[in-house]
Amino acid sequence: MQINDQVEADRWVGVALDSQIQSASSHPVILNGRELALWRGESGPARVWDDRCPHRGMRLSFGFVRGNTLRCLYHGWTYGENGHCEAIPAHPDLAPPKTICASTHGTAAKYGIIWVNLSATRAAHVPDLPNQPGWLPVRSVHLRASAPQVLDGIAEFDYGEPARTSMPAQNACVVVLGSDTQLFFALQPIGLDKTGLHVVVNESGEPQIPRRQRLARQVARLRDTIEAGGGGVWPSPRTL
Amino acid sequence: MAITTDPVAINHWIACGWPGKVPVGGYWDTVLLGQNIRVSRPQPDIYEAAILTAGALGRRLPVQSRFCCIFTTLGQDPRPLPQIDEFDEPDRRLINCGSVGVNTSPYRMIENFLDMAHFPFVHTNILGAEKKTEVVSHKIEHRKDVDEIWATDCRFFQPAASKAATGGQMTDYTYRVMSPFSIMLYKNVHNDPGRNDAICMFVQPKGEAQCLAYMPMALVDDVNTTAAIIDFQQTIFLQDRVILENQRPALMPLAPAAEIPTKADVGSVTFRRWLKQMGISFGIYEKAAA
Ligand code: FES
Ligand SMILES: [Fe+2]
Repeated sequence: MQINDQVEADRWVGVALDSQIQSASSHPVILNGRELALWRGESGPARVWDDRCPHRGMRLSFGFVRGNTLRCLYHGWTYGENGHCEAIPAHPDLAPPKTICASTHGTAAKYGIIWVNLSATRAAHVPDLPNQPGWLPVRSVHLRASAPQVLDGIAEFDYGEPARTSMPAQNACVVVLGSDTQLFFALQPIGLDKTGLHVVVNESGEPQIPRRQRLARQVARLRDTIEAGGGGVWPSPRTL
Repeated sequence: MAITTDPVAINHWIACGWPGKVPVGGYWDTVLLGQNIRVSRPQPDIYEAAILTAGALGRRLPVQSRFCCIFTTLGQDPRPLPQIDEFDEPDRRLINCGSVGVNTSPYRMIENFLDMAHFPFVHTNILGAEKKTEVVSHKIEHRKDVDEIWATDCRFFQPAASKAATGGQMTDYTYRVMSPFSIMLYKNVHNDPGRNDAICMFVQPKGEAQCLAYMPMALVDDVNTTAAIIDFQQTIFLQDRVILENQRPALMPLAPAAEIPTKADVGSVTFRRWLKQMGISFGIYEKAAA
């Protein structure tokens, strides 16, 4: 028997900003109701596994990192980056059988966002964006709204200047503001009425931290507007 | 919540309160296997229980007051309460730690109580240490005469085994699973190798994944205050609760491939096999199989 036996679509979904996931940490993430653990070793890329230790089902997002292994909080079973169990503390002299493995998922970091693909095939690609380098984190927010509602909200929002919206993929949205600023929104469907939104920006000029901080506040305004169910007014380009 | 239709789960005596919860002349409303009940106490030593339907009292339920707890049953032919002699020894200190709510299935709780491998990680520097994590092999048997599961010859290194311990020690444990909803352990007393502390856990399943745990103890300890002992026990239990409420699924999976045991889990494996054989379905993950 498998506990998670639903068939997942072959697509990549953004679940966090790469910069938010510090080294040696583990976090809970929910994607379409499925509980996942997002963790990073002391070095290297972040990984996404089912939030369930194969031993007795403890959530791995409660685990702790030693080196580049994730250890379960319940009995300390130690999992390497490929998901294989490397140590069982109750039996220090035993080499764990190769069959003991956490349930791992395709994970990628692109545009400063961590992407997950829950399908077994993983033939799809992470959505293609025009400017590959130069994407910088703005912020992540959680919204009490469905993913389609959030997409509508992003498209309808009054940005206070000409804005062109496009959708390079399902659950992904690019908004070009004026001539030099692109905002990219990755949507993470959490549940029917809950969506995560991970936002990065690409500017043609020198990246400016104060400007990104203002953008981060505006993303919070966007969230409030969507949750209130209306089309708010984005501040004028000058204040951006 | 609707009452369970599982005849196996119903035919047990189940803890449904403790004296501190039910004032003399008063009552305490609670839930048993999905059924609302009222436990009342007309006189200091007399308890009564009855089914509660939409605020009205229905069928009277039998009651036993034992091991510092109040027990009742919804079944017609319940398995008798276990015999635990330690609660009748005159020089024992009987301590009831009250009840703690835990959102998981009763069997996850029994399994956690039966498990030594988690001591170094969940009760770090109290019941175990990260330097000594080995679970040495021990004996597990299903004692057919009493239909209980016993684990004997259990030994584990403990930095601070009890409130009375004064340093690290190898602690000897014996575990006894007395029903799907009750378990106890005997652990050696720090200053008297001939005697054991007896610590019980009676689980009141309110729903399939909502429980109350009662932990009465019969101790050989003339040093510590009751408050200090309760405090120690609560600290341990709250550490376990973090684990118990974050196991997935909360209901107990019985399919052999659902979770992966090792040698240290022989107790858990025997317990799960026992549950499967008795055909219990309440609180079990695989509904179709039950
Ligand atoms: S549940 Fe993870 S190590 Fe036991
Ligand atoms: Fe414990």
